[in-house]
Amino acid sequence: MKVSYMETDVLIIGGGSAGSMAAIRLKELNRDQKVTIFEKANIKFSGSIPRGMDALNIVTVPGINTAEDYIEAQNIACEGVLDEAPSYVMAKRSWELMKELQSWGVFFPTDKAGNYEVLKTTPKGRFTVTMREPNLKTILHDRFTKLGCTVVNHTMALQLLVDNGHVAGAVGFNIRTGELIVCHAKAVILSAGGTARFGLPENGYLYGNYDCPANTGDAYSLAYRAGAELTGLEYTLRYYIVKDINCPLLYITLTRGAKLLNAIGEEVGGDHPGIKNMFDEHYDKGLGYLRIRMSHLPVEKIEAVEDILFSTEKPVLQRYFEGKGVNFRNRDIELGPTDMYLCGGHGITGVVVDTGAASTVPGLYAAGDSANVNRGHLTGAFVFGQLAAESATEYIKGISSRQCDPAPYIAEITEKCQVMEENQGFVSIEEFEYKTRRTITDYLTPPKNEYKLSRAVEIMREMKKALPRHVKVSRTHDLWKAFEVENIIDCAILSATASMERKESRWGYWHHRADYPKTDPAYTKLLIVKRGSCDDDVTTRLREPDKSISLKGGNQQ
Amino acid sequence: MCFEELDIDLLIVGGGSAGTMAAIRAKEINPDCNVVIVEKAHIKRSGSITMGMDALNVMILPEKQTPREYAAVARDTCQGIADFGPSYTLAERSFDLLKKLENWGVFFPKDTCGDYQMLRIHMRGKFGVAMDEPDLKVMLWKRVGESGVVTYHRTTAVALLVEDEIVKGAVCLDLRTGKLRVVHAKTVILANGGAGRFGLPSSGYLFGTYDYPGNAGDAYSLAFQAGAKLTGMEYTASNTLIKDSNLPLLYITLTRGARLVNGFGEVLGEGAAHLKAEERIAELQRAGPLFIRMDHLPEEKIQEIEHVLFTTERPMQRRFWQQRKINFRTDPLELALTEIQLCGGHGISGMVVNRKAETTLDGLYAAGDAAAVPMQHLTGAFVFGQVAAESALGYMENKVFHKCRNNRLVKKTQADLDAFRDNSLAQVSPHDFEYKVRRTINEYVASPKNHYRLNRAMELMQGFHQELASKLIVNSTHDLGRAIEIRSIIECAYLSAAASNARQESRWGDRHKRTDFPDCDDVNWLKHIDVCRDKAFPSLKISFRAVE
Amino acid sequence: MYGLEVNSNCFGCGICEEICPMDCIRTDAEEKPYLAFDECWYCGACEKECPAGALKIQIPFLIC
Repeated sequence: MKVSYMETDVLIIGGGSAGSMAAIRLKELNRDQKVTIFEKANIKFSGSIPRGMDALNIVTVPGINTAEDYIEAQNIACEGVLDEAPSYVMAKRSWELMKELQSWGVFFPTDKAGNYEVLKTTPKGRFTVTMREPNLKTILHDRFTKLGCTVVNHTMALQLLVDNGHVAGAVGFNIRTGELIVCHAKAVILSAGGTARFGLPENGYLYGNYDCPANTGDAYSLAYRAGAELTGLEYTLRYYIVKDINCPLLYITLTRGAKLLNAIGEEVGGDHPGIKNMFDEHYDKGLGYLRIRMSHLPVEKIEAVEDILFSTEKPVLQRYFEGKGVNFRNRDIELGPTDMYLCGGHGITGVVVDTGAASTVPGLYAAGDSANVNRGHLTGAFVFGQLAAESATEYIKGISSRQCDPAPYIAEITEKCQVMEENQGFVSIEEFEYKTRRTITDYLTPPKNEYKLSRAVEIMREMKKALPRHVKVSRTHDLWKAFEVENIIDCAILSATASMERKESRWGYWHHRADYPKTDPAYTKLLIVKRGSCDDDVTTRLREPDKSISLKGGNQQ
Repeated sequence: MCFEELDIDLLIVGGGSAGTMAAIRAKEINPDCNVVIVEKAHIKRSGSITMGMDALNVMILPEKQTPREYAAVARDTCQGIADFGPSYTLAERSFDLLKKLENWGVFFPKDTCGDYQMLRIHMRGKFGVAMDEPDLKVMLWKRVGESGVVTYHRTTAVALLVEDEIVKGAVCLDLRTGKLRVVHAKTVILANGGAGRFGLPSSGYLFGTYDYPGNAGDAYSLAFQAGAKLTGMEYTASNTLIKDSNLPLLYITLTRGARLVNGFGEVLGEGAAHLKAEERIAELQRAGPLFIRMDHLPEEKIQEIEHVLFTTERPMQRRFWQQRKINFRTDPLELALTEIQLCGGHGISGMVVNRKAETTLDGLYAAGDAAAVPMQHLTGAFVFGQVAAESALGYMENKVFHKCRNNRLVKKTQADLDAFRDNSLAQVSPHDFEYKVRRTINEYVASPKNHYRLNRAMELMQGFHQELASKLIVNSTHDLGRAIEIRSIIECAYLSAAASNARQESRWGDRHKRTDFPDCDDVNWLKHIDVCRDKAFPSLKISFRAVE
Repeated sequence: MYGLEVNSNCFGCGICEEICPMDCIRTDAEEKPYLAFDECWYCGACEKECPAGALKIQIPFLIC
């Protein structure tokens, strides 16, 4: 295999929202430091937000809410399993972030009085500010390009280089040419998203996921193997959203007067229906599929919704609704459960980080869906991208350079590729992935129990061993997919293990155990997973959540 | 347009258990009768029973039980929705059937007292008899050949010929040449199975179904298009089975002492195969998965079970357990719910028939899974195969027949097939189209049902029906055969949703559970729901019929 | 395609193609059988019918 080498100061793995922001911040702090981004796709339109976004989910708007309010709301949502300090820092910096984005040209609509539109999307308080920026990614891209960051496109990081317990770079794999790239770095920021391509969607289409299907848990897998702590792997998340396509229009419509109905026409969940309400209706009462009805709304409201959806977030949605014969004026929009996935932005899964985005391994930082900043959404990605940049800038000041010998990593990867190319493989990687992911869905979807979870671990270990031998590889593309499926399998093992250790039920449908159906206060803790003596040795421990904010401010839990 | 034409007496569509038995019986009664079987595959190894079978699920031994007792059990199993006549006839003739099969060389094991081994399969009574015949299908095939029946293999019936509301034969497609074969017949027996390929299995493998995947509801579709009545289409049956595979070993093991255990390790009903399906499903949802454990059984019992499984019904079972690295002596067997199917043998779905196997159309008879004789299983297929042949031959006696003169139906069938072959707008492979139809069935036609979902189901199925011919890529006659099957699946799904929508109550546990009408309502709904074509698909007539 | 293993005993008689209930076996230019469609029901009829004992059908990948 051809191998090339490069050196940088800070390597960013994943050029999405968090990664882009980190790159910008690094250069703002010190124009001379070298910043390199490994991006699996093409950074211009990559990641969960390839084009635009319709809201900044968490902003502490002066006069409307405070960061303490936010912590209170988040504690309710996460049922107490929350490290408050990182979330607090994010909330505190959110207003400045918004102002900064505005100064770059990102549009936040205001009313005649100059007030932003602040919507309620959490159990308590209003934190979501409407944003209307169809070119968000382009704005970010142009900024870091101008600032002189080096982008290495079509490159998937396969291994982190670790030198004496410090992260010192990564080995990347060019998904088009099959070549390896060794990047030596003084610090690494992991911002490669969550495990969006995890469970199997009902439509059976491997890429029909709710979140960006390019996100295959690479960051979790890399961090785990480098010895970093991760948490929230048991928080197996499913949304209830537009059926068969990832079009998030619940809040866009409900906040404008649309109704949420069940199959027999009853309204669900009052003013602020939560996911729990929807799952209850669908699974407990069997009254799915739920529907959003807008036909009673005045035309201007409907047009406002169409405008947001079809221009800002995902223009292709228009085509989807046309194809289904759905006109909001006279047909209901059907909702259904999504595939299951792991995510720091929507959930609580990720690399454990402190208020400086630092992981538990020196030199390794994490931001966005890769990091555990509970349900931080886009705000979390941006703020922690910045924090990671700030911390990394400080950290590398004391470092001359790291020379980690990449030879053993290269050898391992090369051997694996060779085995795959020379095997008597009989199954395509697509079929292998299908089977892996439907197995994940079979055994990890709640209600969970000890048997199913331990079977999940067993089966996933077997599949990991079988993959290089059974999969027929005929192009570099197949190798790429094989590496992604390996990461998916790794995440499944961690998720099943963590789910087994959390011997209680919590967070409604997301970690519901039939063998431990009640919530146990003894588990109001973070469940940490960490690599033991080898990759197969998954160790777990419970840790008290950081309550520094509520204890200080006198907020009672 | 050129096609082959035949003029015969009796056309049997489907050479499975019912069809072969019907053919043999017809020739027994009248060796000069011109009998033809059209078979989609090859009758030596086609249908739900490709190899052998380990039991006859319905058997009434004289002096041990009475047909009346069985008919009562059948009715109770179906919560009252079962006509007395056909169940009675089934039971009445079952022992003669056993004797006949034994004469042919089919092996029924006896115990040391010389008695047949009776098995408890139903909610009460022992109505099943052990059979150990791995070569059952081969025996039937041989007899069919010896009796002078002509079989057209790789030939599927695409439409029934109907004129003046009398069935006069069928338009068939030769799956090798792609040519039409028009069979004019005085009578037709539909014995081409139920809809085994209906819901999507959790494995995602289209052909990994519980029942023979070649049965795509073709019989129901043919009957519906011809104008015959169907019933019980709302009975969407799933089974608790070995996870991911169609290896039905629940009764085989539980009747021999195996234990049913839940996900917490609790034992449910030791040795009891009669745990109601609803109870099993409730348990699955509460504390699943369920397992079969045999590690407490003596070695001889386990060997007996292995023998039955690995030689008789589906020898591939041995390989399945090997690949899964499971040994009955030490490991538990995981169970799960299968996908749903519509079936007259395992369920109550099918063409409306009376105790003489007559359907609601003159000249048309039905037997096996295609016919609605509730829970008739293999015994029913055999008995009603015979009954259908007897009735058909009786009908033909002293009657003047007018061959179908009108070529309209043949032309329409040819046009339909040409439309499938036209790929100018085609974009979707048969695999992908079928996958989508069948996962839609899982989502909208299976329980838990409600009127919103069922109406959506009908809407979606109509949409699929309209776009099928133009969207589907058909590159071979094989693809054409699959296209016809997909169309049958769509039509059956539509009928199932319509019937489910009409039955405004819940009944039969998970097989028709409505969250908008959660109670069983005997006052208003202790009756059959029949469906019948009105003009052309999708227009249909729904009618209610009192239980006999 | 995976699934159907053919050993050297095969002499190209074509019975397996004729007998398959799912019509998914075809023979190639050398008259050796293969699974032309991913539609096998793994009933084992082909194996049973093969006069040369040349066939072994595996459980499909997605199932086992």
